Amino acid sequence: MDRLSMTSTSAAHDISAPTAFNGRPAGLWVLSFGRFSLLLDRRAWLASLLLLLATIVLVGLSLGSGTVKIAPFDALAALFNQGETKTIFIVRDLRLTRVLGGGMAGAALGMAGCLLQTLSRNRLANPDTIGIDNAATAFAVASVVAVSTTLAPSAMALTGAITMLSLTFALSGGAGTRGYRFLITGLGLGSICGAATNLMLARAPIDAANTAFPWTVGSLNNRSGVVVTLLAWGVVVMLPLAVIVGKRLNLVRLPDAVAQSLGVRVNRLRLFTILLAGSLTGLAVAVAGPVGMIGLAAPELGRRLAGPRTVPIVPAALAGACFTMLADLLGRTLFSPTEIPVGIVTALVGGPYLLWFLLRTPRGKQL
Amino acid sequence: MSVSPPAALQTQNLVLGYQRTTIIDQLNAEIPHGQVTAIIGPNGCGKSTLLAGLAKLHPAKQGQILLDGRDIARLSPREMAQSLALLPQDGVAPDGMTVADLVRFGRHPHTGLLRQWSKDDQQAVVEAIATADLSSMADRPLTTLSGGQRQRAWIAMALAQATPLLLLDEPTAALDLGHQIEVFELIRQLAAEGKTVVMVVHDLASACRYADHLIAMRTGTIIAAGAPKAIVTPELIHQLYGVHCRLIPDPVSGTPIIVGVQRSIEKLEE
Repeated sequence: MDRLSMTSTSAAHDISAPTAFNGRPAGLWVLSFGRFSLLLDRRAWLASLLLLLATIVLVGLSLGSGTVKIAPFDALAALFNQGETKTIFIVRDLRLTRVLGGGMAGAALGMAGCLLQTLSRNRLANPDTIGIDNAATAFAVASVVAVSTTLAPSAMALTGAITMLSLTFALSGGAGTRGYRFLITGLGLGSICGAATNLMLARAPIDAANTAFPWTVGSLNNRSGVVVTLLAWGVVVMLPLAVIVGKRLNLVRLPDAVAQSLGVRVNRLRLFTILLAGSLTGLAVAVAGPVGMIGLAAPELGRRLAGPRTVPIVPAALAGACFTMLADLLGRTLFSPTEIPVGIVTALVGGPYLLWFLLRTPRGKQL
Repeated sequence: MSVSPPAALQTQNLVLGYQRTTIIDQLNAEIPHGQVTAIIGPNGCGKSTLLAGLAKLHPAKQGQILLDGRDIARLSPREMAQSLALLPQDGVAPDGMTVADLVRFGRHPHTGLLRQWSKDDQQAVVEAIATADLSSMADRPLTTLSGGQRQRAWIAMALAQATPLLLLDEPTAALDLGHQIEVFELIRQLAAEGKTVVMVVHDLASACRYADHLIAMRTGTIIAAGAPKAIVTPELIHQLYGVHCRLIPDPVSGTPIIVGVQRSIEKLEE
């Protein structure tokens, strides 16, 4: 393949000729067809492939586990209408919504985290800090606690996320330097929503508070198919957008003045990035509630695997999907039949994982 | 005075500043083609702001900047990026990046979503790295280079941009003497090859020695402009920095060197 259509370069060429720098981009594949050409980062593609495999395995495992055990391969086959009718029914009608919801929510959070971290050049920026999930929680809890009828909490969560995103935008007056104004405004508004949630829970009858509880930690139990479908379409549409934005954001890793003088409209790019990250977060929390740590840990793993040359949107998305599905799988099976909400698992496992990840990184690393 | 070549960049009654503060006031400057222009002046006189303004990082509040006769306010970011490269003071590169990775960024204004890499891009990167004398370390991470080499890598990035104009904000600020000369000589070489260079420089002797044209600024206005030998006088130095001094010609280059700098005029009079 290399010889036919691709020019592959690696560190190998400088062994034979120590001084001849031939300008071929090291570590990148140059793909050209006539006037068109693409630069593909080899490490990022391999990382994506690896994570895609992991995702498929986890989808199989997740679809297979439950009261009726199904072998992962059979479960995957059933996804494509192959196998026994009963198995197909269990996989497609009973379990798919949950697995799809978890995977897509994780992918959305991973992408949102990757976008926000690159934008702010801060590895701690993530969907949790922009307050959208707090707002989604507050609205969902309000719908469970304050209204006696079952006003779909998912729809309310989505409403909350959209309200919050618009409000933060209006109050921060745009992105500000490196998006900090937006992040800080979100943080402030988010803590108000957090307080409102606690107030509602404290005043609610114990039964209602119990029902509302999963929305405060993040859970994938019994999600509405409509919202999951909406999320899935959202991810499908926004993934390519995020990849394109990521290509531009790669230049914003340089000083602003340089990026701008290279022709990047930095302010417009910031605004678009925040809008994209906000929408992804909103859709994710409408399905899963405030699942923490994914938006932090997934881009971290993506960066580590994909290397320093790219903004790892796809690896972060896949890593987010893997983490969320894995956490949900653990939550469902570890203390079965008692189920632990996915958000608790991610916090429990994600916290130490992230600490380990951050502490073993040499100091002075910059995005 | 000799007839000067047409201006590559020209400002007309330019006003630059932030919300309510004005930093550059009614400035008329000309950057001559194919020469090295140095902007000098005390701290806070607006040198860097002017440079950023010329690169269209800040929009002009009033007046205009003409690039080869065209108002830059009407040029798209891409057109700007194809005609003018800027190197800011704080060049911090992302971690793990090699010289070639950095220089490749310079090709951004010449590429597109579906035209990400061509032979021309490759050629430009090779030439830029060769000009900056970094061919033997093209695949080394920037963090392993010396300060002077790293600065040359940034200059190589700007060269890969293949623009007729190059703006540099204190290109030698953090470098020792040897590395300063390395960078200044590279700048001279670029001018000899036809580039127009504008740089903000703190050290007056270097400005006099390596620039063809000086623009001396104080509090947002130009107080003198022209060839170093023609405009640099003890009076100008006093006007700019509030110090007294004497000037002697550099025995090698013949350009002015400042000696006996002091705040009072007494001893110099003897």
